[in-house]
Amino acid sequence: MRFESQRVAWWFFATCMLLFTLQLVYGFILGFAHAGHDVLHDVIPFHTARATHTNLLVMWLLCGFMGAAYFIIPDECDRELYWPGLAKLQLAALVVVGVTAIIGFHVNWWEGRKFLEIPRPLDFLVVVDVLAFIANIGMTVWKGRRLTTTSMVLFFGLLMAALLYLPGMIPTDNQTIDSYWRWWVVHLWVEGVWELIMGGILSYLLIKLTGVDREVVEKWLYVIVGFTFLSGILGTGHHYYFIGTPRYWLMVGGLFSALEPLAFLGMAIYAISMAKRGGRRHPNKVALSWTVGCAVMSFVGAGFLGFAHTLPQVNMYTHGTLVTAMHGHMAFWGAYAMLVLAIMAYAVPLMTGRHLHASAASTFAFWTSNIGMIAMTLAFAVAGVTQVVLERRVGMDFISVQKEIEIHFWGLILAAGLFTTGILAQLWVFIRSGLPVGDRVAGTREGEDGYDAG
Amino acid sequence: MLSKSQARAFFLVGTAACSLAFVALTVDTFGQLPSRTNAAAITPEVARGKQLWDENNCMGCHTLFGEGAYYAPELTKVYERRGEFFIRAMLVDPAAMYPGERKMQRYDFTIEDQDALIAFFRWAGTVDLNGFPATPNLMPIAVGDGVAATGGRPQLFNTLCIACHAMDGQGGRVGPALDGVGSRLDAAYLRRWLENPTAVKADSRMPVLPLTDAQIDELVAFLSQQKD
Repeated sequence: MRFESQRVAWWFFATCMLLFTLQLVYGFILGFAHAGHDVLHDVIPFHTARATHTNLLVMWLLCGFMGAAYFIIPDECDRELYWPGLAKLQLAALVVVGVTAIIGFHVNWWEGRKFLEIPRPLDFLVVVDVLAFIANIGMTVWKGRRLTTTSMVLFFGLLMAALLYLPGMIPTDNQTIDSYWRWWVVHLWVEGVWELIMGGILSYLLIKLTGVDREVVEKWLYVIVGFTFLSGILGTGHHYYFIGTPRYWLMVGGLFSALEPLAFLGMAIYAISMAKRGGRRHPNKVALSWTVGCAVMSFVGAGFLGFAHTLPQVNMYTHGTLVTAMHGHMAFWGAYAMLVLAIMAYAVPLMTGRHLHASAASTFAFWTSNIGMIAMTLAFAVAGVTQVVLERRVGMDFISVQKEIEIHFWGLILAAGLFTTGILAQLWVFIRSGLPVGDRVAGTREGEDGYDAG
Repeated sequence: MLSKSQARAFFLVGTAACSLAFVALTVDTFGQLPSRTNAAAITPEVARGKQLWDENNCMGCHTLFGEGAYYAPELTKVYERRGEFFIRAMLVDPAAMYPGERKMQRYDFTIEDQDALIAFFRWAGTVDLNGFPATPNLMPIAVGDGVAATGGRPQLFNTLCIACHAMDGQGGRVGPALDGVGSRLDAAYLRRWLENPTAVKADSRMPVLPLTDAQIDELVAFLSQQKD
């Protein structure tokens, strides 16, 4: 770590860990409800728990991206953050808006729009907050002493993510148009510009952790984000099969979203080959595990499992079933949750000066959470496929089918227990790492991040 | 070998081309949406229904057009499948309609709001969804599309009763199957039962449905004929 203002990232990461832990609590509420034990129905009904579960995810991932940007951009641009104070203010404001939204969900104050449930007045506050963040990052890049591809990709990813929030706020009385714009936000985020952010963060981590030449890493970064947009933009069509939009979306969406796994495969090959090429034996091995693991698991979850039901012939039967939940859980975990955990695994020791990455708890957290998530995905898969066959193919009544698959949710709950154990271990490592006060900063040149000389 | 500037050019050109194509398709789509979505039928009442759908986050449990959560039934064709009578009864007292089953929140909607939601569901059923939801095609025993094969039954039976009771293998499993019910119970008993189940059997969990006399006549006549 070379600049004092990078330390602000720690507060974003601490918020991440807090919200992530809370997200798991709500996940269990949903799991037990599906298993037939909706015991909190009168206090936290299913739709409240679900909106909270997904919005906490979105919020902690955005918090993680912001923290990552505040850590990476000064290092890449070779200067302190332009407005270090604004970063803290902006985090505080985001937390206030987030907490207000979550409380709102518990008192029936929301918009019933999947993933964008935050009530409209708060949407505007989110926009203002994100603009402050973008301005801060943008000014740092603009006034920076050097302009790197990694920082540009990261900056434009964040800027586009902010701009693409706006279509979701277009008012309409037509459910189809409502859905159409909603996917501009949700799809073009997770299968578009968020992958720019992902590419930027991964390439930063690979440069730092493997010692492979920046030119090589960044060249392939362009190729991969190129494939992402080539497939991902028109791949939005896989949300436009059955919502009232024209029939040609079946072909456009099917064709281009079938290419999406290639972008993720490219990302996985890229991370693995850079890690192999790197001559540097970086001591923070667990950060490299999260980095490569992120690329691999995002291929499995987002690429492979997404492809499993993206073709319209298949999606006709799986659309709106638990098969989507199967794909969704591993995709978000692999692509984005692991990404934030990767940058945290790298950055937190540098900010606090306590290098716990060699501890058994770090390794335990990595493997337990990943094995837990794989098991969760399998449980969702069994439940989802059974639902598709019984309800959509055979024609059994919805509620009868749900009773048939209750047992698989007990499997899910067990797997989620394992996953949670891993995340709690990660939380423990984070807490033991302490506050961002340690380690030298002054006089450190690039590549001398405490220990990673190279 | 690929240079960094070539890689950058690939990224910029590819992204620009795809973005332009996407915008062009969006423009074309919006040209087609008014007719495909039957937009002329979006009355203020339908719009009010959509507003209620949003305000109460119905999508947090149900799906519409296949979008939402997977905790409660898909509602795209609910107007056709269950009919107005069932939807209204469900909106008035959800817990009564599926006793002992997965619970829905009770909202105490006004009559006007119930009408608006029903109008919204009726509109949603008319949108051209490219064939979604598909007809079950593997040993189909479905209510809904199976109804064609059961044309001899009263409409009310096929939309309302079947939600909880099965006949010929079709329908819900909340209450007992009604095959051969006419052999077990006589018309007078069936009539008293439909008027108020708990008056006949104190621990019955079947709701008192606001059926008219004509509707009860029709159902009793039909059920009495169901002999083993």
